[in-house]
Amino acid sequence: MLLAVTEVPTPGYGVLAALLIFIAASVWLGTLAQKAMEKQDFMQGFFLGNRGLGAWTLALTATVQSGGTFMGFPSLVYSFGWIVAVWIGSYMVVPLTGFAVVGKRLAQLSRQTNAVTVPDLLRVRFDDSRVGLLASILIMLFLSFTMFAQFKAGATIMQHAWPGSGILALSEDYDTPIAKDATATGESVETTSRTWKQALRERLPLSPKYYIGLVVFSITVVGYTLIGGFLASVWTDLFQSVMMVIGVMLLVCLAVPMAGGMEQASRAAIAATSSDIAMGPGYSTAGREFLTPGLALSMFFVWVFAGFASPASMVRVMAAQNTEVMRKSIFLLSVYNCLIYIPLVMTCIAARSLLPDLGKRSDEVIPQLSLLVTRDFPYHTGEFVSGLILAAPFGAIMASVSCFVLVIASGLVEDIYAKLINPNATEAQLRRATTVSMVAVGLIAVLANLNPPQYLQALVVLSGSAGAATFIAPVIMACYWRRATATGALSGMLGGFLVYFAIYSCGWAQNWATANPSAELANTIIGILGKDPMIGAAGLFRPYYILGVDPIIWGLLASIFGGIVGSLASPPLAPELVKRFFDVRPASA
Amino acid sequence: MAAPNEHPLLAPARREAVAALLIWLLTTVYCVGYCCLYGYGRDPKTLTFVLGFPDWIFWGIVVPWGVCTVISGLFAFCFMKDADLEN
Repeated sequence: MLLAVTEVPTPGYGVLAALLIFIAASVWLGTLAQKAMEKQDFMQGFFLGNRGLGAWTLALTATVQSGGTFMGFPSLVYSFGWIVAVWIGSYMVVPLTGFAVVGKRLAQLSRQTNAVTVPDLLRVRFDDSRVGLLASILIMLFLSFTMFAQFKAGATIMQHAWPGSGILALSEDYDTPIAKDATATGESVETTSRTWKQALRERLPLSPKYYIGLVVFSITVVGYTLIGGFLASVWTDLFQSVMMVIGVMLLVCLAVPMAGGMEQASRAAIAATSSDIAMGPGYSTAGREFLTPGLALSMFFVWVFAGFASPASMVRVMAAQNTEVMRKSIFLLSVYNCLIYIPLVMTCIAARSLLPDLGKRSDEVIPQLSLLVTRDFPYHTGEFVSGLILAAPFGAIMASVSCFVLVIASGLVEDIYAKLINPNATEAQLRRATTVSMVAVGLIAVLANLNPPQYLQALVVLSGSAGAATFIAPVIMACYWRRATATGALSGMLGGFLVYFAIYSCGWAQNWATANPSAELANTIIGILGKDPMIGAAGLFRPYYILGVDPIIWGLLASIFGGIVGSLASPPLAPELVKRFFDVRPASA
Repeated sequence: MAAPNEHPLLAPARREAVAALLIWLLTTVYCVGYCCLYGYGRDPKTLTFVLGFPDWIFWGIVVPWGVCTVISGLFAFCFMKDADLEN
């Protein structure tokens, strides 16, 4: 019988050292990137890396990985069991669909239009500034939610990296109010002499370590992105992707044998919970069905379409050097995904028997496991190795934030400043506008996270899927359909966004009514929308499941319907414009 | 039907897009279908393990994942065509 191992060492200076190394490496990559993009056109160089991405950088950065993926996903496996392999299963085709559906054509169109951003591409392709403006506003809206959440996650990780601060995790439960810290350290609350402190606490309710972490994290990420632009972002992303795969390989090789092998780990997990942990729809103590067949089907849409239709991914594809790079990227990313996701599931099933008592703190599974499996390494090297493993999700968060800051800044500079405010801007003015917009984005993110709202992580999922539902039809139409028009693109974007958002809003209303049954409005809402179906993960921001499937499916259908009907109902684009993007250019005289 | 003066990148790109979406569709049907048939509502006593994985996860996810990786390699190196993006 395998004994459960629950005595986990707490993180020491190794973790902090690893994070500092990561930060230093990122700044160094930023300066290298700056040198690489010098002497080129500023906008093309800063925001697209002069369209020079190679196979490795394209493969390992043009996907939807983030710190949340690395920390949130293991938490799901730990909580619900083997069913999460089905939840993530569509990643087996994401590399193929990510590059082969629109990749080649998008890269060509971005060159033909000389576009630096996705809205810029759509605006020129459909010859309508409204298309570009709407796309730009929606992209900034979606990415802002995601970016704010990542700032919070980065600050939280730095907060807990301090020795003695507890286990490193992304859990939003970790936002410890400062009053608790004060009580723990034996401080008395003298109201007369501490009025200003109380006022400060009301405005800044979290631990001071969180705010130090927030400032350090923000300065670092905005700083190196400002130095090196797009290349700094993708090189850091590549660096963390490599670290992540090394970390996962280390963990699986150490944790599974420690649990007595994979089958023994599964049997121990079943013994500790129930057979549901090895079956669909997954294990739950609250009577929820995590992944019903309808939701399993939905996930094969969510990851695939969010993969190639998300604005951040499309920008990377636009920056591909050539089609050979794309082909190689398909294979590289396929192998990479193989090495990440199945081993992560195996590792977290093993964690069920090694760390059986995590309960609601399942977000800690990777940090705790990495400290546990390396605790017997000689000369305190285990602490440093676990620090490096833990630095990988931190690096992923930095890379994601860097990418989002860049995409939002490019929208502000290219789609708003250069197109609407100052069409004749000089390069110096564009550089200044870029600096101002990036610093402003960073400052807004810091201000938004001084007293961060809860459930930001749920908004990340929402904005990612909403992005796919909004852009999938307009982008496919732009690439392949001659008859597509600006009206079609606008109705495709608005249709997908509004339907997706409306369904999600119904879910929020339903969840609110369920949580507040005594409220006057609650009975009316439950009467219209029905009771909580008890499917999917728990949380206030659960969507409303029409016919038991995720809203992304209805959003995609609305986007496709809106795109086709809007195009057919409006006059075709000028033949010269269509020829420019679809036909061979006549040889110059 | 391709237009007479259509850019040479378009036809292969369209073919590759359709092929990739077909592979996605087949994968979805097989994986979701197999897992729903053998992983849901089943007597837990009949559960067996293959290389440490529950049998339905092994045949429904792990094996298709390996197959998809091979197919992706073949797609990238044998099926997908290079094209000039600049002109």
